[in-house]
Amino acid sequence: MKLRIAVEGLGACAGCEIAILDLHEEIVSLLQDLEIDYAPILIDKKSLGDNVDVLLLSGSVRNKHDAEKAARLSEKAKITIALGSCASFGGIPGLANLYATKELLERVYLTTESTENKERVLPSEEIPPLEQVIKPLKEWIKINYNIPGCPPQPKLIKEMFQMLLNGKPITLSKKTVCDECDLKREEKKITKILRWGQGEPDSSRCLLEQNYFCAGPATRAGCEAKCLAALMPCRGCMGPPENVTDQGAKMVSAIASIAAIDEENRVDPEQLATMFKDIVGSLYRFTLPSSIIPRKVSEGENK
Amino acid sequence: MKHYTVTIDPVTRIEGRAKITIWLDEQGDVKDAHFSVFDLRMFEKFLEGRPAEEVPQIVPRICGICPVSHHLASAKACDMLFDVEPAETGALIRELMHMGQYIHSHSLHFFFLAGPDFFAKGREQGLLALMQEKPDLAKKAIQVRKVGQKIVEKTGGRAIHPVTALPGGVTKKLNKKEVDEMTTDLSSVEKDLRELVNACKEGLLDKKKLMLDLDSQRSYYSALLNKGDFDLYDGNIRVITPNGQIAEEFNPNDYLTHIGERVEPWTYLKFPFYKKAGWPDGAYRVGPLARLNVAERIPTPEANREFTEFKNEFGKLAHNTLLYNWARLIELYYAIERAREILQQEKIVANDVRRPFKIKKGEGVGVIEAPRGTLIHHYVANDEGIIERANLIVATTQNNAHINRSVRDVAKRRIESGKIDERVLNDIEVVVRAYDPCLSCSTHLSDQTNLEVAILNEHGKPLKVLAR
Repeated sequence: MKLRIAVEGLGACAGCEIAILDLHEEIVSLLQDLEIDYAPILIDKKSLGDNVDVLLLSGSVRNKHDAEKAARLSEKAKITIALGSCASFGGIPGLANLYATKELLERVYLTTESTENKERVLPSEEIPPLEQVIKPLKEWIKINYNIPGCPPQPKLIKEMFQMLLNGKPITLSKKTVCDECDLKREEKKITKILRWGQGEPDSSRCLLEQNYFCAGPATRAGCEAKCLAALMPCRGCMGPPENVTDQGAKMVSAIASIAAIDEENRVDPEQLATMFKDIVGSLYRFTLPSSIIPRKVSEGENK
Repeated sequence: MKHYTVTIDPVTRIEGRAKITIWLDEQGDVKDAHFSVFDLRMFEKFLEGRPAEEVPQIVPRICGICPVSHHLASAKACDMLFDVEPAETGALIRELMHMGQYIHSHSLHFFFLAGPDFFAKGREQGLLALMQEKPDLAKKAIQVRKVGQKIVEKTGGRAIHPVTALPGGVTKKLNKKEVDEMTTDLSSVEKDLRELVNACKEGLLDKKKLMLDLDSQRSYYSALLNKGDFDLYDGNIRVITPNGQIAEEFNPNDYLTHIGERVEPWTYLKFPFYKKAGWPDGAYRVGPLARLNVAERIPTPEANREFTEFKNEFGKLAHNTLLYNWARLIELYYAIERAREILQQEKIVANDVRRPFKIKKGEGVGVIEAPRGTLIHHYVANDEGIIERANLIVATTQNNAHINRSVRDVAKRRIESGKIDERVLNDIEVVVRAYDPCLSCSTHLSDQTNLEVAILNEHGKPLKVLAR
């Protein structure tokens, strides 16, 4: 019996689906064991069959329509997997939680420089209303597994299929990105936080030890540290490591542990914090909605 | 009088989510039609407060199919904002990454998604049908796309959501081995591409005859041009009239003088238009067909030969929407040829990949031809180089008005006196697909497509459901 799968995206960029296609010719052999029941980006079948084994859901719930669809689809599948970091943690669109929906709409439809909208028309007819905040999928429906990554690397997707085909539970790496990174570490302490692109980093050494913010120590392995191989510091797309909920808190402790606080050439930790120009956008770029404080709370708000 | 509600839910083999509503008048004829797009992710707002040099890392997430376009338009906007000329080899590596993306994105659209309408019997199964009916062609299609993605990975660090571009260039040099591999890969698929294109053309010609009078719509066209030549990476924006005359040619930095965007209450997608012609006359089209209509020649030999053949066949100005598909194939040749040209340059392995820049206050506009059309990123940053305002005009948005018109044309043709020809479903999907709409991009939004077609009577009441 083939494993029947369904693939659907909610509010997303389709990168997770492309990551599946990036298995290239291996898809042909995978299809000997897998049957695609439903995948609107690929085939025309308009609804989910009754015997779907695995539903791969990517993206986040941005409007009422997404919420209904996630519930409707997952009801019919035996196993539901949150594919990618939007579904698992909220992802980059989760940064919208820093603003009220009204502010977001006003910028997009009223004040953007190219917009000509004297009548102050906001989209409101014939379309589903927006949800006020982005939340990880597990807060909407029952999720059996999260497969993180923005997008998950094709290799990780292949491993996921293999575990499913063998009837095994899906397990993820318990290591961090630093464990997969080839750059050389010298246990150097940092005295400042440089902005990316300032100065010229040594291309063989750990970027964090060269004072560049890198989320590697607070990020789960499984991406093969590809960004670091291309000399770009990690931005944390794989989400927090095993048994960690709040990726930003983990990163703060990682920085604290390598800051030159006790040394002769010491740095004031508070001063280090001020060198961060965008704390939320750096520490929680992919995980704000699943962090301890998942959104901006306005003054005077009770919730 | 009979009335129907027609639902296509979801519209498949396109990227994004939308709904179509068609209104009938008292006679049961089509009064109006709307292509409504469902949601948005509001990047324009949440880019505020981010350091500008980080933005090229964030905006690729607008679209998983053409992330390179957003990565590079953003890097170009940051070059201008921080006042740094990108390093020569760095700029070449960026363009090579862009060509890799074209090879991937155009192959994906045509061979995997839309093409099966034209050359596979079980077209509903898309690529899977091709795998069953013509496994050899399917393997070739997979290989061509793979070569594109491998180029993006080597130049951008990752195939999806690349990371290397930053103000002043790119982080990563290329070595000789990587260059040789890319060159070999490209040579290995050139013959396959020819075979694929020939197979497609037969199907396209057939379908073209079928649909010719269905959807020939005249419009303004807009695309980047480099000294009159077709160019996907850089240049000025040229707008031509529905008769093919040059209406305007301008530096992309001046886009606000020439392009306005209108908001409608029934869709999250805005409607850009050419200001001088006003709304609605100035609604223009972008993307492969627009680029071929605007260009005078293509600067690589094989693509230019195809371009000339295209012009001989369809005239200097081609309005038929289905020809977007054909134009896409010609661009695939260009992307492969241009990638090879870049790889042959000695300086592609030089060390000059990035220039230093200083954090400062500034404003930058970055423009590039994304696979689906011209893409504009515009940022304003404060003294600390933190984004204060961001404005994005993406490719599919600029086709929004005409996707709406195409849908209305098809509806008018297939619905008369309350009688609905069921081919309306199929024809709407085929014509919408021709635009290769990327709804993820266009409202910087999301989701797989759900295209619902609802037909309403003269009182706006939904009628009988007719699903495929």
